[in-house]
Amino acid sequence: MSNTTIKIGMMSFAHGHANSYANSLQQLPGVTLAAIYDDNTERGQKAAERYSVPFAADTATLFAAGLDAVIICSENAKHRPMVEAAAGKVNYILCEKPIASTAADGQAIIDICAQTNTKLQIAFPVRFSPPIQWLKTKLASGELGKVYAVQTTNHGSMPGGWFIDKALAGGGAVIDHTVHVIDLLRWFWGTEVTEVYAEVGHELLHPGLGIDDVGLLSFTLDNGIYGTLDTSWSRPSSYTTWGDVKIEVTAEKGVIFVDAFRQHLTVSSNKVGKTQWQNWGSNMDLGLVRDFVEMIRNGASPSVTGEDGLRALEVALAAYASAERGQPVTLGG
Amino acid sequence: MKRIGILGPGAIAQLHLACWQRLPVEIAAHYDLRPEMAERAAAEYGGKAYSDLHEFFAAVDVVDICTPAAAHKVNILAAVAAGKPTICEKPLARHLVDCEEIAAAVEASGVPVFVAHVVRFFPEFKAAKAAIDNGAIGKPGVIRTIRAGAFPRTLGSFYGDFAKSGGVVLDVAIHDIDFQRWCMGEVERVFARGLTFANEPERDHALITLRFANGGVGHIEASWASPPGQWRTALEIAGDEGMVEWNSEGEAPITQIVINEAGNGKLRSTLSPLGDDINPYQAELAHFLDCLETGATPMVTVREAMMDVKVALAAIESIRSGKAITIAEFTAETAKVSA
Repeated sequence: MSNTTIKIGMMSFAHGHANSYANSLQQLPGVTLAAIYDDNTERGQKAAERYSVPFAADTATLFAAGLDAVIICSENAKHRPMVEAAAGKVNYILCEKPIASTAADGQAIIDICAQTNTKLQIAFPVRFSPPIQWLKTKLASGELGKVYAVQTTNHGSMPGGWFIDKALAGGGAVIDHTVHVIDLLRWFWGTEVTEVYAEVGHELLHPGLGIDDVGLLSFTLDNGIYGTLDTSWSRPSSYTTWGDVKIEVTAEKGVIFVDAFRQHLTVSSNKVGKTQWQNWGSNMDLGLVRDFVEMIRNGASPSVTGEDGLRALEVALAAYASAERGQPVTLGG
Repeated sequence: MKRIGILGPGAIAQLHLACWQRLPVEIAAHYDLRPEMAERAAAEYGGKAYSDLHEFFAAVDVVDICTPAAAHKVNILAAVAAGKPTICEKPLARHLVDCEEIAAAVEASGVPVFVAHVVRFFPEFKAAKAAIDNGAIGKPGVIRTIRAGAFPRTLGSFYGDFAKSGGVVLDVAIHDIDFQRWCMGEVERVFARGLTFANEPERDHALITLRFANGGVGHIEASWASPPGQWRTALEIAGDEGMVEWNSEGEAPITQIVINEAGNGKLRSTLSPLGDDINPYQAELAHFLDCLETGATPMVTVREAMMDVKVALAAIESIRSGKAITIAEFTAETAKVSA
């Protein structure tokens, strides 16, 4: 299909990343954003208007558009029904992270895609950050000698909306912000998390929130490296940016700090009323969508699989289990 | 596919060639006064080495001039006489009289020529300009930029030779002059102090103050006086509704602290790798290809680049004379004094 235009539909704009993915689709050559479906009609119609594409009131109408692929950005708990609706109707699915709100749903998503021969990719855009890619290459070179530990953060601002509804999200800050960094660590070393301990805080930063807003995970990897990850929604709304992805590697031959979003301009605008960091680095969402489109064009396999998504989700779920028990939890047994 | 010819495959040409390889063009030809340089570039990047300039022009659709500034004039004049769209590295020329001759010839020929002032394509500088254009900081009043590195000891002797390069002001500060003019408009007056005539071996440095026609002011620090291996840039633009800041010090996404077996003490370093999508050298070359496709005027014309050289030479004259220089009164004739 190297010369034909690839047609991609979008299912749900519940997750804000949908806008970034839609912008990416409209920037890339040889691909068209063909239609938008959303189970929230008003939200979907607005998005369709914004991107000047048809709104599909139901999934049957969406798939009648003759799509090659869909991008799903629903609430976490709706990933499974949407994947089930799309699998077999399209050949390729890009699903927002985390893969699902429960491990059972995550496995069901993988199974239906396998049964219908649908290729499934999970949206882990940080893999497309040049500083993160540099770190992966550096680690692979072996120049650092033995790696001892990683100290990581994926801080965020409190997103509100369905992100704080357990039925739709599966949890709060821990399920929202565990999976990105865990995916990177698995990808760096081709390893798995073997044990997780977590301190989870509820309403420590946002009184009355009704869900966890603080998470401190401590883990060991199968390759012997230990580490921590702070998943907290600890950036106040007055902060300079939405959050961060930071990785500090301590090794035999030295220490490396990577701050994936540190390519920014500091902008103070009275019109906004605060100082903000405005990213000028690579658009990693564009990198992710380009990778997805190239996979379709070349008939390749997903660079990030459903199993990658499920393994990362299992770490978040183990963190909640550990916090309940007050003891480490073993994975992969 | 456009056939690209590299004229003068020196240090900056390596950067350009790596970018041309990623663009939908054919690297077709290399020409250099030193034939072995052209041969080496052809072996590494493809295309053919030429020792005859006319044969070189006949083999290409676009000329990319990467020679030292002193050789820009003769090559631009030859390229436009051959009718070939041309990219020329900055500064446009070493002397104002040469800039005037280039501008007259290029404008008479109607051949598109783009002067590669790459800072306009650096993502952080581009974002700062966008913050002005979208109104985030209101009307800009003060613009400050820093571009500081070590004296160019290893890049070939011509950079360190004032008669050939024009020193740190014409080679380095010209980036800031071009960027500040892009943000603020034309320069009315310039005052500068520096080491250019201070007989400090292997050092050059300048602090330049600009007054813009819009009433705003600008400050530039350009340095070849940092320790070897050091390089930093910074910008700050303050307006009546806000401010933008960027500083390469402490803003890098990667910091390495490694055990150094040689024990020379340089343990800490920072890095800010850029994806191809925001590579400024690739972006400037792609910009010129777009211009050729659409017929648009290149972002930096020879006349724009001539104004940059004029302000830089006025700054040098200010360093020499200790006086503020009014740009409207600064001519090719007065520029000769500090040439």
